[in-house]
Amino acid sequence: MSNNSIWVGNKELNKEEEFLHNAGQEFVTTDLMENSDAVIEQDGSRRDFLKFLGFSVGAATVAAGCDIPVKRAIPYVVKPDEIIPGVATYYASTYAEGGDYCPILVKCREGRPIKIEGNDLSPITKGGTSARAQASVLSLYDTHRYRKPMANGEEISWQELDKDVKAKLAASNNIRIVTNTILSPTAKEVLKDFQAKYPQTKVVTYDPVSASAILEANEMTFGDRVIPDYKFDKADVIVSFNADFLGTWISPVEYAKKYIKNRKVDKVGGSMSRHIQVESHMSMTGSNADNRVLVRPSEMGSAIAYLHGLIAGGGGGSQLNDKAKGALTAVAGELKAARGKSLVISASNNVYEQILINDINNVLGNYGGTIGFDQASLQRQGDEKDVDALVSEMSAGLVDTLIVYGANPGYDYCKSEAFLQASEKVKNKIAVSYSANESSDVCSIIAPSHHYLESWGDVEAKRGQMSLMQPTISPLFETRQAELTLLSWADAVSTTSDQPYLDYLKAKWQSSAFAAQSSFATFSTYWDSALRDGVIGGGSSAGASGFNVDINLAKSKVSKPSASELEVVFYEPVSIGNGQFSTNPWLMEMPDPVSRTSWGNYLAVPVTYDGNKKFKGLNGLEDGDYAVITVGGKEMKVPVVLQFGMAPGTVALALGYGRTAAGKCGTGVGVNVNDCLTVNDGLAQYYNTDVTLSGKTGKEDHFSCVQYHHTIGVKAKNNDGEIINADEATLGQTAYGVGITGYQGSLTERSVLFHSTLKDLDKNLDDLHKKRGVQKYEDRHGSYTHLNEQTLYPFDEYSAEKYSQGHHWGMHVDLSSCIGCNACTVACMAENNVPVVGKKEVSRHHEMTWLRIDRYYYGDVENPNTVYQPMMCQHCDNAPCENVCPVNATNHSSEGLNQMAYNRCVGTRYCANNCPYKVRRFNWLDYTTADIFPANQPKVFSNGGEDNIPFGADNLTRMVLNPDVTVRSRGVIEKCSFCVQRIQEGKLTAKIEGRRLNDKDVRTACQTACPTDAITFGDRNNKKGDLSKKLKSPLNYIALEEVNVQSSVTYKMKVNNKDESINA
Amino acid sequence: MIKYSFKSLFYIALIAFLPTFISAQPSVESGKALFTANCAQCHAKSMKKDATGPALAGVEERWADYPQEDLYNWIKNSQKMIFAVKHPRAIELWNQYNNVIMNAAEHLTDENIESILLYVDAQANAVPTTKDPSGDDAGAGGGGKVPSWLYWILFLALGVLSLILARVISSLNQIAAKKEGIDYERKTLLQTLTGKGVVSFVLFAAVLFGGYTTVNNAVNLGRQEGYAPEQPIKFSHKTHAGIQQIDCQYCHDGARRSKHSVIPAANTCMNCHSAINVGSEYGTGEITKIFASVGWDPSNNKYIEGYEDLSRDEIKDIYTKWIGDNYKKENDISADDKLTDAGVEEVDRQWNHLVESLTNDQKSKIYGPIEWVRIHNLPDHVYFNHAQHVTIGEVECQQCHGAVEEMDLVAQHSPLSMGWCINCHRQTEVKFADNEYYESYAKYHEELASGSKKAVTVEDIGGLECQKCHY
Repeated sequence: MSNNSIWVGNKELNKEEEFLHNAGQEFVTTDLMENSDAVIEQDGSRRDFLKFLGFSVGAATVAAGCDIPVKRAIPYVVKPDEIIPGVATYYASTYAEGGDYCPILVKCREGRPIKIEGNDLSPITKGGTSARAQASVLSLYDTHRYRKPMANGEEISWQELDKDVKAKLAASNNIRIVTNTILSPTAKEVLKDFQAKYPQTKVVTYDPVSASAILEANEMTFGDRVIPDYKFDKADVIVSFNADFLGTWISPVEYAKKYIKNRKVDKVGGSMSRHIQVESHMSMTGSNADNRVLVRPSEMGSAIAYLHGLIAGGGGGSQLNDKAKGALTAVAGELKAARGKSLVISASNNVYEQILINDINNVLGNYGGTIGFDQASLQRQGDEKDVDALVSEMSAGLVDTLIVYGANPGYDYCKSEAFLQASEKVKNKIAVSYSANESSDVCSIIAPSHHYLESWGDVEAKRGQMSLMQPTISPLFETRQAELTLLSWADAVSTTSDQPYLDYLKAKWQSSAFAAQSSFATFSTYWDSALRDGVIGGGSSAGASGFNVDINLAKSKVSKPSASELEVVFYEPVSIGNGQFSTNPWLMEMPDPVSRTSWGNYLAVPVTYDGNKKFKGLNGLEDGDYAVITVGGKEMKVPVVLQFGMAPGTVALALGYGRTAAGKCGTGVGVNVNDCLTVNDGLAQYYNTDVTLSGKTGKEDHFSCVQYHHTIGVKAKNNDGEIINADEATLGQTAYGVGITGYQGSLTERSVLFHSTLKDLDKNLDDLHKKRGVQKYEDRHGSYTHLNEQTLYPFDEYSAEKYSQGHHWGMHVDLSSCIGCNACTVACMAENNVPVVGKKEVSRHHEMTWLRIDRYYYGDVENPNTVYQPMMCQHCDNAPCENVCPVNATNHSSEGLNQMAYNRCVGTRYCANNCPYKVRRFNWLDYTTADIFPANQPKVFSNGGEDNIPFGADNLTRMVLNPDVTVRSRGVIEKCSFCVQRIQEGKLTAKIEGRRLNDKDVRTACQTACPTDAITFGDRNNKKGDLSKKLKSPLNYIALEEVNVQSSVTYKMKVNNKDESINA
Repeated sequence: MIKYSFKSLFYIALIAFLPTFISAQPSVESGKALFTANCAQCHAKSMKKDATGPALAGVEERWADYPQEDLYNWIKNSQKMIFAVKHPRAIELWNQYNNVIMNAAEHLTDENIESILLYVDAQANAVPTTKDPSGDDAGAGGGGKVPSWLYWILFLALGVLSLILARVISSLNQIAAKKEGIDYERKTLLQTLTGKGVVSFVLFAAVLFGGYTTVNNAVNLGRQEGYAPEQPIKFSHKTHAGIQQIDCQYCHDGARRSKHSVIPAANTCMNCHSAINVGSEYGTGEITKIFASVGWDPSNNKYIEGYEDLSRDEIKDIYTKWIGDNYKKENDISADDKLTDAGVEEVDRQWNHLVESLTNDQKSKIYGPIEWVRIHNLPDHVYFNHAQHVTIGEVECQQCHGAVEEMDLVAQHSPLSMGWCINCHRQTEVKFADNEYYESYAKYHEELASGSKKAVTVEDIGGLECQKCHY
């Protein structure tokens, strides 16, 4: 079956010795032995010895003194009614940062927000979340936040600041407010009030990653400057030109939810949508596509024009490469066949290319079907031409006062340098900002704003779809809500009220939304209901009408392919956006879904196959090499990662890194490429053709790519007993595959992954069932030939005795649904107090995530398909880790949980060595607490300075900790617990209510975070539950079933809808 | 053991002899019960001190000018007497006690009131008894414990005996040696004591004892059984949970629904103490601390506006006035007179004590939460949930916390060690039948029905597994 070609990366394919060695071991050998200087902090060791001496004497004295340390129990003075200490309260709110949007529930403990959950009531996201939304709670406790209002670097009071600013505003002839997309209708009212008071004000809106072209194209075509409502769930054929709609483009959570609805297959003969991605580098969305068509970035215009020619006639795009032409011809056929049920989108920032896309959709009859305007998206509203105009105004000295309102044009605007230079001519520069950034650094007045979890607000992400934002904690610092700051300067708000912005907000709602509805009689009941639900649906506006395009003009203005030998494409990373989230350690440590790199932007270079076992990177580069890339005259030294599936002659680099003012976490990590963008027709183009790339110039010290960490089995013995790299063998070099008896096995013969195309599902399922020895589909355990039958825990006996009653927890992961977005990984870190370890530690394989998403490639080596496999503790009922623990720190519960008692663990790491899934993590250093010995502390932030204490060791960051989960100390193993704290809580709820436990009582953090419902957790004994239903799918298999560990996690085969005949 | 006055003994005897009359006939005993249930919230039990309500000693004499039924009606419904009847004595009292309403008690019969008055009389005339702590100890010692001096005598006697025996052996040896004509030198006492045998025995015993003590103490490190720290307020569970019979969960309202039982917020105290502002035991000494921590002005019965921003001196003025006024009342000093020197000293003492209790190194303000000393300290890696035990397991609070209702100062009753938890989980039977949740344990239900299993313990449903408490 097609399984015979899965690989994780070129190191594996090239049989690199170091990689093979590491893959065979649980713990990578560090350079501790060879180069002790690098690891042990030599200069501190004598002092450490004295400290240790002092500590032991002190400890002995304290212990001998036997004085009980006095602990205080401090109650409330007046306990708020809604708080019961020890019980979490949930508030509906909305995460909105720029155009990013997600309706959420905020879990608070004793008044502290500690976790974000999706809001199931939202018709847009339906409970899904993104990694960014999950991580946003950590930003609340960011040590880098502004804490007080400031003027010229001095802390001042709000009264002084307001007085000062008002005087300056009154004396200004020209006031400019620069902001990112504002989704809040009331905030727009605020700006109107501000403009009413200061009519000389203009508001300039732009987006960190521009979508101006699509807005402009729609204005020209429909007379409506919006992004339409894309209905991925209604489309049978989806063609995306470089739009990473599952990861970063416009509204990824919403799109992922809809997209996946059509991609879940349960039986032979089922149907699923077709997804074709036309792109230059492997994006997260591209990795999920059925077919990828590779074009160079400068060819994108031609590709669109070529497809337009095929669909609407009239030719075009003749300069496109032949392979892509062939592929697009086949795609055009599919599109025509799916008239009215297809969807073509593009992330191009060329207006005329977007007009061609509009025309393609129009010819295909998709408007009204898969594309609508009645609930158009407002998530991008910016226009960087306005910023251009602002820059020229500023350079001409026409602007007296500049207010930077939550944006950071000094970094993420494509001509940031010019912006910063021009701003020097502005007399008064005011930053209404949450934390210090490149733009606020040049401002003399800082008006610090609240975090969104401290704020009131409303959000209209799609027309007529409202949601509310409410504070879940009282402000931590002397900050003030940004909108309130503007209102105060405009004298448009009550000065006596306790919560003036709330009053303002309510007044606006009373006169607009409340007046427009009829279900509620009084405003207070309406407001309370809206606030409780967090989302208020219903309203929709009239769709756009008319269709007006000038095809000939458009065709003449599409971008032309370049003759340049090398091109570079810049993309927004799923984790940190264009730098907006780079102060967040959870997101910085989150690996990129595709390249699996963290802490920095790695240059993705294409890999070519030499036809004889070897894969080579461009210019002979290898993973972790430093290379010098010159883009438009700017030289940058970047580390390299080899990337499959790149268009030939194309390299890719992420935006958002190389910030200079992003606190300890984000400053100086990676390189800034915002000034490498080109500009066409006033719009930023996210590629550059003026590129040269050097060969290897050095080696990165801390290559923080987790791609090769914790890989499962790559070696095997062949028939001659020779140990070989099985994956290489599967590429057709060696006759291989019969009579394998190897102990280590390989991915090819070991059941780590199963996948199939929809067409071949029948055959592949038969193979799977034959292999598993399963007679009936619902048999979980078949007559699979186990490599061993040894067990200390006879499964059948235990099943009858223990697991047959009460609960028997299990999990089901649908690989077809997993898009690799990493929301679950971040949610798991938040829920389980998983530490951030920093770049150096990641490079030493010490990342602590309990849930990782393994990425595997299969198929064509130069343009492969991808499977994402969430891998966490499998809670084996015949667990190999348990019986090697000398102190019984890990053992089994009667509910099928593989338990880990941290306080029993003595750190032998035998368990991790014996885990076939490599999911156990060891606390090599003191990752969460400030150890008194510096040698035991990780250096999480590369520029932490003097007080470089570990992440989470300060009292502010510690507020995010989940009080129900132990913070682990140095020297113990930890791993996924199936969110046992949630299990226990759910059981208690059911007991208190005197009823049986149901699915809703216990849902793990990864499950609730998932935007595509790929993860299902539940009680296997609950025959009516969701899990039991999912466990009946014939597509299910158990990872590494042959090692007979009786795991509790079941995977469902990855199915795609690839058309093998399309070759591009 | 002379704890009770002869009078009360007499009454107890009376009750024993006349059991049938108790309920019908007015008696001191039924009066006591009625007083505790209806009056003790506001009137001091000694009958000689003013609390929220006046001291009741001599109440009948004070009402002697009016018909007896006036007093009875007053007790039954004071508001009616003030506003409907406009009784002069009633109005006088109303004004004297700052218009604090006395709860109506219409359910009391005349016999009941007679009983209460009998009890008031008895209490007022009772001979004050003082506790003799040494006597208490001796009493306890006599009960069954062997006093330690006995051990010492035994120890010494055995020592002397062994010396004598050693001497005897030595003498016998000498005689034997003489008989055989061998020159034998007798060992001196010192030689015997420093001999090989004795020294090695002593060393052996020392090592054994040392090891035993070390291991024992190491195991007990951090365990605090019996821990009874002084609290910032001399809050007595005996008074509240014992005498006043307030339910534990009235204040510890988290116990039934949260992992924490919750130390009540000061506003919970104020539910009662806005009316009861002088304690029966310490007068103004302790309750004023609650007022000062929340900003309640007991002199005017209201919360002080802007209390958080008041200076220490302003706060001092408010509460020293209250303490002083009460001192005057207690010592029969007219409100207009100046305090005596003793009074000033007492007020100062109470104020200083208040400041000391409500502030510490980290908390300089008087306003704010009362920082109690935590008694039950579980390590951080232990998860314990009160709701599971109180609501589902229906475990009585006392099972783990001891007879708190008898404690003036709360002490940790149980070791809170893992062995102690586990032991209980082994023995405790799950209330299987009443809760639908447990229906998922079908096999156990079958076994219970067939009789092959008598009961399901917590252990049976996984109560000994690590991750029930450690995660």
